[in-house]
Amino acid sequence: MELHFDYSGLYEFLYSVSSWLLWLVGRAFEFIGVDSDNFFYPVRQFLTDQQFVYFVALILVALIYLVAGLLFGIQFIWMERKFLGRFMDRRGTQVGFLGFFQNFADAFKVLLKAVIIPKDSDKRVYQFAIFGILAVSFMLLGLVPWDNNFYAVNVPLALLLGLAVFSLAPFTLILAGWSSNNKYTVIGGMRGAAQLIAYEIPILLVVVSAVVMTGTLNFAEMVAWQQNNVLLFIPLFIGAITFFIAGVAESERIPFDLPEAESELVEGWQTEYGSLGWGLIMAADYLRAYIVCVLFSIIFLGGWAGPDFIPGSVWLLTKAAIVFFFMVWLRAATVRIRTDQLLKFCWNRLLPLAVINLAIAVLIRVYSVGWW
Amino acid sequence: MTEMWVNMGPQHPFNHGLWNLRVKLDGEKVTDAEPVIGYLHRGWEKMVESRDYQQIIPMSDRLCYCSALTWSHVYVSAVENLMEVEVPERAQWIRVITIEIQRLASHLMWLAAVGTDLGSYTIFLYAMRERELFLDLLTNLTGARMTYNYMRIGGVRNDLPENFERDTLRACDLLEKRIKGEYYQLMDQNTPFRMRTIDTGVLSKEDAMNLGVTGPNMRGSGVDFDLRRDDPYEKYDEIDFEVCVEKEGDSFARYRVRMREMLVSCDIIRDAFKKIKEGPVRVKTPRNAPVGTAFAHVEDPRGESLMYVMGDGTNHPYRLKVRSPIFVTVSAAPKMCIGYKMADIPAIMGTVDMCVGETDR
Amino acid sequence: MAEEIKKRTTYLSRGALKPRAYVGDGLKVTFRTLVRTTIHRPNTIQYPWETLVKPECYRGRPGITLETCIACSKCVKICPNKCIEMVPIDHPTLGKVKRPQVNVARCMMCGYCAEVCPTDAMIVTPEFELAAYTRSALMYDPIKLQHERKPGYIVHSPMVTPSEMKSGRTDSHDKGDMAIKDTVQLDSRKCISCARCSKTCPVGAITMTDTGELNPKTNKPVKKPVFDDNKCVSCEQCVDVCPKSCLSMKEAM
Repeated sequence: MELHFDYSGLYEFLYSVSSWLLWLVGRAFEFIGVDSDNFFYPVRQFLTDQQFVYFVALILVALIYLVAGLLFGIQFIWMERKFLGRFMDRRGTQVGFLGFFQNFADAFKVLLKAVIIPKDSDKRVYQFAIFGILAVSFMLLGLVPWDNNFYAVNVPLALLLGLAVFSLAPFTLILAGWSSNNKYTVIGGMRGAAQLIAYEIPILLVVVSAVVMTGTLNFAEMVAWQQNNVLLFIPLFIGAITFFIAGVAESERIPFDLPEAESELVEGWQTEYGSLGWGLIMAADYLRAYIVCVLFSIIFLGGWAGPDFIPGSVWLLTKAAIVFFFMVWLRAATVRIRTDQLLKFCWNRLLPLAVINLAIAVLIRVYSVGWW
Repeated sequence: MTEMWVNMGPQHPFNHGLWNLRVKLDGEKVTDAEPVIGYLHRGWEKMVESRDYQQIIPMSDRLCYCSALTWSHVYVSAVENLMEVEVPERAQWIRVITIEIQRLASHLMWLAAVGTDLGSYTIFLYAMRERELFLDLLTNLTGARMTYNYMRIGGVRNDLPENFERDTLRACDLLEKRIKGEYYQLMDQNTPFRMRTIDTGVLSKEDAMNLGVTGPNMRGSGVDFDLRRDDPYEKYDEIDFEVCVEKEGDSFARYRVRMREMLVSCDIIRDAFKKIKEGPVRVKTPRNAPVGTAFAHVEDPRGESLMYVMGDGTNHPYRLKVRSPIFVTVSAAPKMCIGYKMADIPAIMGTVDMCVGETDR
Repeated sequence: MAEEIKKRTTYLSRGALKPRAYVGDGLKVTFRTLVRTTIHRPNTIQYPWETLVKPECYRGRPGITLETCIACSKCVKICPNKCIEMVPIDHPTLGKVKRPQVNVARCMMCGYCAEVCPTDAMIVTPEFELAAYTRSALMYDPIKLQHERKPGYIVHSPMVTPSEMKSGRTDSHDKGDMAIKDTVQLDSRKCISCARCSKTCPVGAITMTDTGELNPKTNKPVKKPVFDDNKCVSCEQCVDVCPKSCLSMKEAM
C-alpha cells in the first residue's frame, strides 16, 4: 500500500491514516509469521478488517475534535477573563503571553487538589452527574461542524439531535443538585432545571424558523443556503436576538446565572463539587457557551461562509468569538436577575418574540419576498 | 409543601463578616428569618476597661473596618464631654472634613458590597477604584489606610498636610462626576438593577421607627432625621446641607439615599474648606477623667452610633457602652425579608450595609 | 440657598428616572472603560512588582535609633497592646544598655510609641510587609528594630493648653515644651531619701541635694531629690519606683 492520504476532509484524512496504520500492523503480523494456520491469525484478521479501520478512524476523529474543541473552549475562558478585566478597569489574567496560560495553570491546580466526596451524598449519582454534564457538552461538541471538511459527524438531522441533547442538561443538573445532599445544591439544581427547560422553548422556536427558511436540518446545507442567498441574521433579526438571550440563559451566565448565584446559593448546584470534578464542570459550562456561540454563528451568521483567503473554520471561530464577546459584555454591564423575573422574562418577552420571528420566517417562505 | 431552614452564614458569600441569617424557605419564598449574631464578639467593652483613655482610641478604630474615623470620633467626643474639654475650632473643622471623607469611603465600600451581592463585579471594582482616592487622602493625612488613630481627646493628631485641600477637592469633583455619570448609567438606569432592588425589602416608616433603625436605612423609609442637622456636633450647625430622604422604603430607596449622601458629603467638604480657620488642632487634656457619666452620639455612615462612658476618677473608664447602629438595624431583618424570594435576601441585606465588627464588638 | 443645594446634590428624582434602554447605558459605560483600559493602562497596581506611593508619614512597624534612645520606657507605658518591652543589649559603642524590643506580631501600628518618644528615637517606618514563618521571627529585638531615619517618620502631635486656647494662641507647642510638660512633684514629708528616683532617672534630671537638715537619729545630713524640669521627660519612672509613693505627676494645664 502506498503512502497517500486523502486530504479532502477530516474524516477522510483520518480514515486513510488509520487504514495505512493498520496495514502496517498487518504487515508486522505477517513479518513475525502469523499465517493462516497460526493461532493468532483471527487477531490479525480482526485488526486489518475494514470495520475496525472505520472504528479507529472514528476514535481518532473524536479525539482530535475533542482536543480542538477543548482548546477553543479554553480560549473562550481566557477571552472572558481578559475582556472582563478590561471592562472592569483591571488587568485580567497575567500568566504567560497576555495571560493565555492562566487557564492551564488553573487546570493543573484543580487537577492536583484532593478529591473530597461529601459523606452523606449519594456517591454514585454524585459522580455520575459530572459525567452526565460532560457527556452532554461533548456530544454537542461533536455535532457542530467547523467547516465543510472539518467535522466529526455529518448527520442530516444534526440540528434536531443537538437540541435533543441540549435538553438532557436539566436532568443532570437535578441529579447533581439532589445527590450532593445540600440545601443550596437542591435549590440550585431546581432553578437550573426550570431555567433550562423554560429557555429551551424560545430556542426551539427560533431554530424552527431558521429551518423553515433554509428547509434543512443539516448544518452544512444551512450554511450553503446562507452562502447562496442571504445571512439569516438579516431577515430573522428578532430571532437572532432571542436566540442570543436564550443562549446566554442556556449557558448559565450572568445575568441569568441563577443556578449558581454565588451570593445567595454559595455556588448553586456545584457547591459540593471540588477538585477535578469542579474543573470539568466549569469546562463543560464554557463548552456550552462555546456551543451556543458556534450555533449562533452557524444559524445566523453564515458559519464558515466568508472570503476565501481565510480558511472556513477560522471564519466560524472568529464569528463565534465575536458572539462570545457580546456575552462577556452583557455580563460586565448587568446584575443577576431573580428566578421569577427570569421565567417571566422568558414566557412574556422571549416566547412572543420567538413566535413573531417564526411568523416572519413563514411569511417570507410562503410569499418569497424579494430574491430569497 | 414542606418548609426548610437554610443557614445563610456564618460562612456565606452574601454576608460581609461573620453573622448568620437563618431563613425558612417555602420553595424559594422566605417565610421566616432570624438573624444570629455574636460570631465576632471580642469583648471590646470589657477590654477597654483595662486601657487608659488615650489607648482606647486606636481600639475604637477597630470597631468597624470601613468607617474607623467615625468610631474613634464618637469615642473622643464622649470622653471630651466627660472631661468637659473644649476642642479648638480648627480641629472641629478638620474632624468634619475627615469624617465626611470617611463617610464617602464607607459608602463606596457599601456600594462595592452591593455590587457583588447582586452579581456585578463591575460595580464592585468601580466603587473600590473610587474608594482608593479617599483612602489615599486619609493615608496622606494620618499615615494609615484603614485604622487611622487620628482623633485625639481634645482635637486631632496633626494638622492637614500640604496640598490636602487641593487633592480632596479634586477627588470630590471626580467622584461627583462618576456618580452622576458612570454609576448613574450603570445602576440607576440599568433595568436588571432596578428589577432587583425596587419593591424588595420594604420597611415601612412605622416599622423603621419602632425597630430603632437609624441612619440611611431609616431615611430610606421616609423618616426625615439626621443627627448632623437635628443634634449638630462639631461644626455641622454652621454648614447648610440637604438631608436625603426617600419615602419608598425599599432597597432602591436605601441605595438612592446613600448615593445622594455621597454627593452631599462632597458639598459639605467643599463648604468646610471654605470656612476652616487657622489655629491649634489639639488641646492638652487631663489624664484622669472626673467621676461621672457622659455620652456622645454621631451620625455614623450606618446610623446613629453612641458611646456612653463612665469615669471613676482614674485614667481608665469604669464602663464604656457602645450603641451600634447595625446591632439595632439587623433586628429589622425579619421584617424586611419575610415574604420575598430567597434571591432577594442579598439585595435586601446588602443595602442595609452590615458591619459585623461594630455589631458584635 | 436650600433650593440651590437641592439642585446641586440631587442628580435626578426617582420618579423622573426611567431607564432609557434595558441595559444600554451600562453597556455604554463598560465599553468606554474597555476602550480606555485597552489604550491606557488599567487601574490595577501590580503589587509585588509595583507598589503604591506611600507618604512619608505612613505608619508601618516602629523603628528605633539606638543612640538617641534614653530608655525612658514611655513607649512601654503607652503601648495599648503591651507589645513593647525593655531588654538589655550589649552595644559596641553604648555598652550595656536597655532598649525597647517590639513584638511586631502584636503591634497594632498605632504610632503612639513614636508620638510619646521624648527624643524622637522611636519612629514609625513605612515597612509593612512583616510576614514571617515563625512567631519568634516577629519578635523584633532592638538591633533588628533599627531603621534609617527620614523627617517624615517622626511623629509629632503639637498641642496647646486649654488656658492658652482661651486666650487665643495660634501656634502650638511641640513635644518637650515646658508649657505642656508634666513635671514631678515631691511630697517631702514622706520622702525617706532612698535615692532610687535619682538612680532610675534616664536623663539625670534628679539630683540628691543637701537640705541642710540633719537626721536626728543618725546625725547624717538629709538629702532630698531636686528635679530639673528642663531635663525631665516626664517618663514617670521615678514615680513608679518610689517606695513611699511620695512622688506624683503635676499636669501642665
